[in-house]
Amino acid sequence: MLVWVLYDIEKDRSRTKAAKVCKQAGLYRVQFSCFLGTLTSNEKDTLRLKLEDLIDVDRDKVYIFPMSKDELRQTDLLGQAFDKNLVSDEVRALFF
Amino acid sequence: MHLHINSYGTYVHVKEELFDIRFKNSEGVVEHKQYAAAKVTGIVLATGCALSTDAVRLAMRNNVDILFVEQSGDPIGRVWHSKLGSTTRIRKEQLVASLGPSGVMWVKKWLLTKIDNQLAFVKGLKKHRPQHAHFLDDKVTRMEALGMSIGTLDAGCVADIADTLRGLEGTAGRLYFETLSYVLPAEYRFSGRSSRPAGDAFNAMLNYAYGMLYGQVEKCLIVAGIDPYVGFMHRDDYNQLSMVYDFIEPYRIFADETVFRLFTAKKINKAHVEEFVNRQGGIGVSLNKEGKLLLVTAFNTFMDADPVRYNGRNLTRNHCIQLDAHQFAQKLKSERAKE
Repeated sequence: MLVWVLYDIEKDRSRTKAAKVCKQAGLYRVQFSCFLGTLTSNEKDTLRLKLEDLIDVDRDKVYIFPMSKDELRQTDLLGQAFDKNLVSDEVRALFF
Repeated sequence: MHLHINSYGTYVHVKEELFDIRFKNSEGVVEHKQYAAAKVTGIVLATGCALSTDAVRLAMRNNVDILFVEQSGDPIGRVWHSKLGSTTRIRKEQLVASLGPSGVMWVKKWLLTKIDNQLAFVKGLKKHRPQHAHFLDDKVTRMEALGMSIGTLDAGCVADIADTLRGLEGTAGRLYFETLSYVLPAEYRFSGRSSRPAGDAFNAMLNYAYGMLYGQVEKCLIVAGIDPYVGFMHRDDYNQLSMVYDFIEPYRIFADETVFRLFTAKKINKAHVEEFVNRQGGIGVSLNKEGKLLLVTAFNTFMDADPVRYNGRNLTRNHCIQLDAHQFAQKLKSERAKE
């Protein structure tokens, strides 16, 4: 499933770590505190647990939203937006 | 996704447990791109690139396959954790089969599937080319006859009939490629297969596609626990991936089809290939970066994103190869259990 992760984390250290955890899970950074990518439901649960450990539950906020492929298709992207194919794992090969 | 590292001087290393690729972009500015190990299925490295040991470690831990290839696409070697994919019993049975009648059965099965695929492809060509029907029919009959001869061969072990098999297979292949060349637009026609170096753009593309397929088949065999070096039909030379050459036969059609379609759709032009003169003075054709990009994208989409009906399920072609490898391993194992 496509997963959005959005957060507001006060402590710099935890925020940096949260970003790292999201990237390692295979999500792509679409804005500073906003990640998007395709995860299995197991991977999503793992990510949830990792983020839960990082944050201060009394002050910080983390949202993990699943989104269907259909909804992504209806999404409008303007300006320097992310690559739809990349986040939905449709890119099979990259060249360097 | 597969990361293809082709440009001279590109460096693959690890940053924050992510694969970090450092390269110079078209303006000559150094850029970094990071990819999670969870998203990368394989890294294909051509010559002239660098790789760090940490990247190798990250790859091993996440079952990412690192493949080293020549500029022509031929695989040179791979880094894979040094465990067998499965039980050693499979390898023992594979050795036994290679010397006995069950080896003959398998080799015949693979070759016949290959010829069936080629025939189906040629018959498919006929649908839209009524003007060539006579030529194609003639080739089909001759290839069918060769298939029949292979079907009737019998022996106690493959070595006894290996030369005959190779001969029949070779003739069928020659007829098949003659047919493909015949129906191509005039500027792309070629005279037979050539490699090291390829004599024309079609062969250069086909060699590169087969190179990718070799890498894929080898991986599938290793994962299924089969020794890629113990072949049934191909010679057991030093460091020959004989089983890969045996097992690949039914799947060559995937490469043929991709390349052929690129040519008939006139997707290929002078910008995709380069001519060169090798040390022996022979003139060869190789793919340049654009050519590789075009072929690799087309081939990966065909293999990975375009499911086919297979044994009652919708599977990608890559997945079919892996399943066949597992089934082959299981059959080897169970054959002896029955005795």
